[in-house]
Amino acid sequence: MAPGVKDSLRAVTPSQSNQVSNEGDVIKVFIRVRPPTEGPMLNDGEHSGLCLSVLTSNTLRLHSKPEPKIFTFDHVADMDTTQESIFSSVAKSIVESCMNGYNGTIFAYGQTGSGKTFTMMGPSESDNFTHNLRGVIPRSFEYLFFLIDREKEKAGSGKTFLCKCSFIEIYNEQIFDLLDSASSGLLLREHIKKGVCVVGAVEQVVTSAAEAYQVLSGGWRNRRVAATSMNRESSRSHAVFTITIESMEKNNDVVNIRSSQLNLVDLAGSERQKDTHTEGLRLKEAGNINRSLSCLGQVITALVDVGNGKQRHVCYRDSKLTFLLRDSLGGNAKTAIIANVHPGSKCFGETLSTLNFAQRAKLIKNKAVVNEDTQGNVS
Amino acid sequence: MATPAAWAAACERFRTSLSLSQVESQKDPENDPYKSKYRARELLQEVKALLGPAADEDEDEEAGGGPGAEEGPAAERAGPGAGAEPSTRAVRLAAVELQLGLNHLDTEELAAGEEHLQNCLRLVRRSRLEPAAVSLHLQAQNNLGILWSERDEIETAQTYLESAEALYNQYMKEIGNPPLDPNEHFLPEEEKLTEQERSRRFEKAYTHTLYYLAQVYQHLEMIEKAAQYCHTTLKRQLEYSGYHPVEWAINAATLSQYYINKQCFMESRHCLSAASVIFSQAEQTPSTEDTETEQDQQDLRQRKAEIARCWIKYCLNLLQNAQASLEDNIGELDLDKQAELKAQRKREEDEKENGRKKVVLFGTSDVCDAILAMEEKVACVPPLDFREAREVFLVGQNYVFEAKEYFQVDGYITDHIEIVQDHSSLFKVLAFFEEDYERRCKMHKRRIDMLEPLTVDLNPQYYLLINRQLQFELAHTYYEMMDLKVAIANRLEELDSHTIKKINSLAQSAIKYYELFLDSLKDPNKVFPEQLGEDVLRPALVAKFHIARLYGKLITSDGRKELDNMQASLEYYTFLVDYCERYPEAVRAVDTELELSKEMAGLLPAKMERLRAKLSPFT
Repeated sequence: MAPGVKDSLRAVTPSQSNQVSNEGDVIKVFIRVRPPTEGPMLNDGEHSGLCLSVLTSNTLRLHSKPEPKIFTFDHVADMDTTQESIFSSVAKSIVESCMNGYNGTIFAYGQTGSGKTFTMMGPSESDNFTHNLRGVIPRSFEYLFFLIDREKEKAGSGKTFLCKCSFIEIYNEQIFDLLDSASSGLLLREHIKKGVCVVGAVEQVVTSAAEAYQVLSGGWRNRRVAATSMNRESSRSHAVFTITIESMEKNNDVVNIRSSQLNLVDLAGSERQKDTHTEGLRLKEAGNINRSLSCLGQVITALVDVGNGKQRHVCYRDSKLTFLLRDSLGGNAKTAIIANVHPGSKCFGETLSTLNFAQRAKLIKNKAVVNEDTQGNVS
Repeated sequence: MATPAAWAAACERFRTSLSLSQVESQKDPENDPYKSKYRARELLQEVKALLGPAADEDEDEEAGGGPGAEEGPAAERAGPGAGAEPSTRAVRLAAVELQLGLNHLDTEELAAGEEHLQNCLRLVRRSRLEPAAVSLHLQAQNNLGILWSERDEIETAQTYLESAEALYNQYMKEIGNPPLDPNEHFLPEEEKLTEQERSRRFEKAYTHTLYYLAQVYQHLEMIEKAAQYCHTTLKRQLEYSGYHPVEWAINAATLSQYYINKQCFMESRHCLSAASVIFSQAEQTPSTEDTETEQDQQDLRQRKAEIARCWIKYCLNLLQNAQASLEDNIGELDLDKQAELKAQRKREEDEKENGRKKVVLFGTSDVCDAILAMEEKVACVPPLDFREAREVFLVGQNYVFEAKEYFQVDGYITDHIEIVQDHSSLFKVLAFFEEDYERRCKMHKRRIDMLEPLTVDLNPQYYLLINRQLQFELAHTYYEMMDLKVAIANRLEELDSHTIKKINSLAQSAIKYYELFLDSLKDPNKVFPEQLGEDVLRPALVAKFHIARLYGKLITSDGRKELDNMQASLEYYTFLVDYCERYPEAVRAVDTELELSKEMAGLLPAKMERLRAKLSPFT
């Protein structure tokens, strides 16, 4: 039985999320409130222009009518939060656990213009990542290679590392290689040793943060080109940057190989999700009747989902994104979601739906369920 | 309408606007996605101006009322033949308003769209049961349903859609002849639609109503109703030939899985048979384009395998359902229950089902016959003995082979393994019906043979869940086989060395896989968790408990070894007892196991003491 996120969702009761030992298994959810754009918003006075206020480091209030709503998350970063502090609170521990052999994934979620790219990459105009505004991805590179160098120093010549990067884009349920702009329509397959992989995707070996930046900015440029050329739009595509970290340790004759993956994901704008059926994290938005009959299947699938525990097969395959990131959503991985919101009152609807989504994501338990026979005979 | 020339101009603009918004808009540039829609909108406004304002008598009702407004006296007046023949202009205006409403919805201007749709409803409210107006009214309500669902007000959407459903039913009951299509009002006489086409379009609009209602009910968590509306939508798609065969087949197959959850095997089988029949239609129609053939073929093969997998689940559930109704409290076949159920089945025969069947039947004549023929190949009542169970098993097994043709290990690890797991489960439940222990043992051996090779190469970092499932199932299967061997051995006069070896080796294999499972719970630094996560709590504790019992079952004539085994056994029992003391919330998950563990943890030390005493004189 697939690790149905919905099933796991149901299985979690609020009390459990507070237990210390389980903490690592739950997807961590962070909210980042971006500052409103300069201009009219600021003139509107203290509250009228904003639809939410940050109360504490883990709660915020949404000024909804008639009753304001309070949301609680693992962390709420207000408008003054620096890139550095986002990195420390969200990504640092994930990079560390990648060094320990776990797979790790960091998602940025939110509507277009809520600051996903700024959070993950930094301001778009500069390609060097040395300045203070660089985002989670460049900072993760630095920290990763800092940890690798430290490990190497400690272990001497006995331990070697190999890091490979790939950078792909998912648009319209098709996969493009951002490191090879000539390629098109790559396939997803499962490999018995390597898990889910994109067949034919370029993997570039990197030995330092600087080299990783180059891969990133090269690919990102491809993405931006794609965004302006014919009928593509960046906010409709997901970008997935993956670093595979392999370490090899020689102890006399015993060779110990450990490998893990770090996925850094810039999701498509959440307001588009319902169109493309990607619905990133398998949680259906409480939502809309679609005009074409083609989504009847989705309704039926949802009906089947309800019958939990029973053996059944649902014919609709995961979207490419959920398939690729299967491990991050219920497998053997540490996962964090940064939900970006724009505080402007004009964005109320989207902000509410992002917060609702994030609230649900908090309940996803990121661990596989074993199909255990409950009627083991005790005789 | 002023002049014939003005009318001709209006007609032309209306038709241009239709083609703009339906055809041209597909080609609009990304940076100006609504270009054609905006032009279409301008044209519609011009048509509206050409038609002039609506007559006063159409405006006298309460304005802007929701669907509730129809229960007023105006609605009562609107019965058939109540003199509600709509004025031509009102109908034409309503058609324009409908188009304007759709246009604004398309361009994400919901409030304006709502206003136009309400205008449309108001213009034809009194005449809504007339052939000229009913379709307009129905479609405006459909779209108001969509509109309100986009605003997340599902209940409001529900009222509009249910009211559309009621309108259709009333119209079909009281009038029934094919009504005019909303866009027909602007067609020249010679291009008017045929009765057949009118009917087709009207029925299609109503199918959409049902389809939207299916979604509404799903959002409102009225699951049963949602399923019923999905079923009806599928049924109507088939009746009015408005379907894509592959898509329809997949939908029907998926719906069958809903019925499985509800244990409605007759409905489930019907959906699956229909899926298979309709799917074979798609297979037979050769693809016209040569270019995409390979991709299409690939896709078809995958879909076929998916439907096969739904069939596998059907067979499996049918068998498991039968097992559940037949087993006694230790999981063996209960002969009394079997006799009772057989008698009961005789009494009922298919009486009940025949009544139910009429409601859910898909298709007309040809298709229906094909579906019924398909159904005959497998039962829909749970089997009651080995012979019946075997028939279901064989059908399931055939679909296993079919599904595996597409979902091969190379490229489809997860799917492939899931199918093999189902195959193993089919054997497991078939073994339940087998009375001969030796043969039953052989069935379990088959399961081992299919599952064991899968675990060898699988990387647990990416397939953790599946790996754990396989380890646990293998452990449990070895455990069951050992139990069977012990049961067989108990009938013998004395144990021969071959049997002893067999029992020990099965027990060792079971221990091995339980340990592998427990190892998978360790973190990357090989440390077993202090506290177990809720999802693995029971499996982990059951694994510990079973290992304890397995050490107790190992047969040896060597006293030292026996002592070691007892020691190991004691350690595992103690683990369980200690764990539950530390985390009392775990007790609930392993009630029975804990009780037995406590007992054993109490008994074993004394037993070991006696054994030690017996051994010591010789050392």
